[in-house]
Amino acid sequence: MNAVAADPAPSRRVGAFVEPLLGLAVILLGWELAARVLAGTFILASPLEVARYLAQNTGLMSRALAETLGNAALGFLWGNLAAVALATVAILWPVTQRTLSGLALLVFCLPLVATGPILRVLYGPGDGPQVTLAAMAVYYTTYVPLLVGLRAAPSSWFELIRSYGRGRGSELVHVRAMAALPYLFAGLQIAAPAAFLGAMVGEFTGAERGMGVLTIRAMRALDVPATWALACTAAAVSIAAYAAIGALARALTKAPPPVILASPDTSGLRRNKPILNAFITLVLALALWWGAMAAFDLTPFFAKRPGDVLEALLLAPDAAQTRTTLLAALGETAKLVVPGYLAGLALGAGLATLLTLVPAAAAVAMPLAVSLRSVPIVTTAPLAVLLLGRGPAGTITLVAVMVFFPTFVACLHGLRQAPGQILDVLRSYAAGPVARLVHVRLPAMLPAFFAAARMGVPASVLAVTVVEWLGTGQGVGALMALSASLSDYDMLWSSIVVVALVSVLGYAGVAWVEARILSRYAAEQVAR
Amino acid sequence: MTEPAEIVCTGLAKSFGATEVVRPTDLAFAAGQTTALVGPSGCGKSTLLRLVAGLETPSAGEVSIAGAPPAETLRQGALSMAFQDPSLLPWRTVRGNVTLALKLARQPVDAEAISRLIELVGLGGFGDTRPAALSGGMRQRAAIARAMVTRPRVLLLDEPFGAVDELTRQQLAEDLPPLWEARGATTLLVTHSVSEAVMLSDRVLVFSGRPARVVADIAVPLDRPRRASLSTDPAFLARTSEVSEALAAGMAETRPRLAAQ
Ligand SMILES: Nc1ncnc2c1ncn2[C@@H]1O[C@H](COP(=O)(O)OP(=O)(O)OP(=O)(O)O)[C@@H](O)[C@H]1O
Ligand SMILES: [Mg+2]
Repeated sequence: MNAVAADPAPSRRVGAFVEPLLGLAVILLGWELAARVLAGTFILASPLEVARYLAQNTGLMSRALAETLGNAALGFLWGNLAAVALATVAILWPVTQRTLSGLALLVFCLPLVATGPILRVLYGPGDGPQVTLAAMAVYYTTYVPLLVGLRAAPSSWFELIRSYGRGRGSELVHVRAMAALPYLFAGLQIAAPAAFLGAMVGEFTGAERGMGVLTIRAMRALDVPATWALACTAAAVSIAAYAAIGALARALTKAPPPVILASPDTSGLRRNKPILNAFITLVLALALWWGAMAAFDLTPFFAKRPGDVLEALLLAPDAAQTRTTLLAALGETAKLVVPGYLAGLALGAGLATLLTLVPAAAAVAMPLAVSLRSVPIVTTAPLAVLLLGRGPAGTITLVAVMVFFPTFVACLHGLRQAPGQILDVLRSYAAGPVARLVHVRLPAMLPAFFAAARMGVPASVLAVTVVEWLGTGQGVGALMALSASLSDYDMLWSSIVVVALVSVLGYAGVAWVEARILSRYAAEQVAR
Repeated sequence: MTEPAEIVCTGLAKSFGATEVVRPTDLAFAAGQTTALVGPSGCGKSTLLRLVAGLETPSAGEVSIAGAPPAETLRQGALSMAFQDPSLLPWRTVRGNVTLALKLARQPVDAEAISRLIELVGLGGFGDTRPAALSGGMRQRAAIARAMVTRPRVLLLDEPFGAVDELTRQQLAEDLPPLWEARGATTLLVTHSVSEAVMLSDRVLVFSGRPARVVADIAVPLDRPRRASLSTDPAFLARTSEVSEALAAGMAETRPRLAAQ
């Protein structure tokens, strides 16, 4: 009788155990094959070697894991709390929204190459930098989708609250908080591997214990099994956290998403004064920058102030030279980051879409996607260089991987935001999965997709600078590394500032396209 | 009734967990007839329509349309349902929503016919407006246009005029039935208005409170086309009072206090 089953998702009881095992087998097999092909290159260890290493060094690894896990968990907590706090302020006082988003973006853009050492100087020895970097790696990717979710409710729900004479506080508690849940969980799922990686990167900057320390040591010693044992442990932890958050999300978000009718009022688009907002954000950013330098009393030799950068770029005798070098490096980087960014977006959205059409494929694709993101870029960079050469392909691939994961997760959650009532309408015409996808799920996914597209801008810039720094020796990442090693702090800071500005411009460009498309598909995102 | 039965429910029952919503019921709906379903709020009328549309799986019994499971009719694009909530796609205009139904039912898109239908439900000039900029009643009328545009063989209307003012409602009640009757559609219409039930239908089924059980099956052998003037006709009034009494009796079964008031 039940020929018109809803979505295939709930009906996979039997497959629930078989499919993941099958997926694991496929991944292990591919990995073993790759290791055999690359045998002797000191790049990739086989699963067996990794298992042997883990068995022989259980004590060492579990101590390191406990250390890093602790830092990552703290960073995850603080970063997400910061994201929730920022998003709450932005919703309660809408005038602050653009400035807050701008500052959050700028801080997220700061290259690890620069922030790592500075944090180490600020905190001295201890866990401070690790926790801070883990928090900095997650707050932004939670903030952006959360803000989208906080707006994802029909205007009649807000009118109900206002009809009782209540304000934005009640709206937040009674309407927005629930509407935001699916988006919050998407952010948390993106954050889980990011926090772990952030903690490891923090340990790279001179901690005494933890998996980051072991990774650096293993890589210096060309201990391939150790390197990959560490990478696998990181991936396993990330997958477990990802799955746990996913299970929690499914348990807590039972109600089918509503049809979101929002007044197609685009005055929000017009009211928004981009130049004024950019100016306020700039002034605040400069003030914060200057204030931070002064407050921590950092030596002007390496901690440059806004004035120093202005001078280096515009007034100094060699300013023209500085600008030329910087622009040339930026040009090289742009050639890699733009295709990588677009490929990552397309792959993320594409795979998420594919998985809603063929849910059985999730068992293989999901662990692979999470591990791709959580295996440290430091470990994968040499592999990508080896497989794809020093040319652009390797860098583009790594950038694409960094953009891919948040896009994939956000789009997966976004596709589930298809309103149940509208899916019913399609079912009453026996519409197939493709028609449901095209007419309902994809439009419902758009807000999440654009959130991912905005997050992807700084993420791809971060990725490209790290790869250039560690691997290819070209572009603005290499320029920063070179400047740092030559103690040319004027050039380093100028690069940081210019990279941040370019990221902001890219972000603004994406937001411009988004506003135009969402004014039709998700007016609630644009109106307020 | 001489017509063969188009929709047949045998032993049809539905529970949601421990909540029994539709009690085991045998029902048959003749081809081309319009049947009005009335009953207290929450008794299971929408659930019954969803069962007929194959959107809910019965807990017991089965539904067949033209001798086959509903899924077959859905696949032919020969069934339309106007949901109690208009359920329009927010990102499509009125015309876009109506057009989508034709595409989903794999029928050719006739722009002319769509415009005429939009005009007929009183939305002329709003074809390019999106649902958020329509009033509640206008959204409902757009949903009716969407349900009718595919000229379905089975038409399920769940309180189609619930949010429409009295005069527009009368207008629609005059204009729309000839369209679905001309096509020979088997129509099930849920309504809370007793006079509307009698005015629009060939037969009125009165349900008790939840779990739904048929307490009266009243034929309405009045001539068509029916005009608003019919509402003062003694034959019409006799039917409406019959329906009202059955409704009250059904209520008394399950909610004695409310009915007594
Ligand atoms: N998906 C569901 N899960 C659980 N209970 C449900 C579900 N859908 C309906 N019900 C219950 O079934 C009963 C009948 O609901 P239904 O929508 O069919 O009523 P109705 O007769 O259409 O009422 P109304 O005239 O108010 O629209 C209600 O008690 C409702 O709580
Ligand atoms: Mg109902």
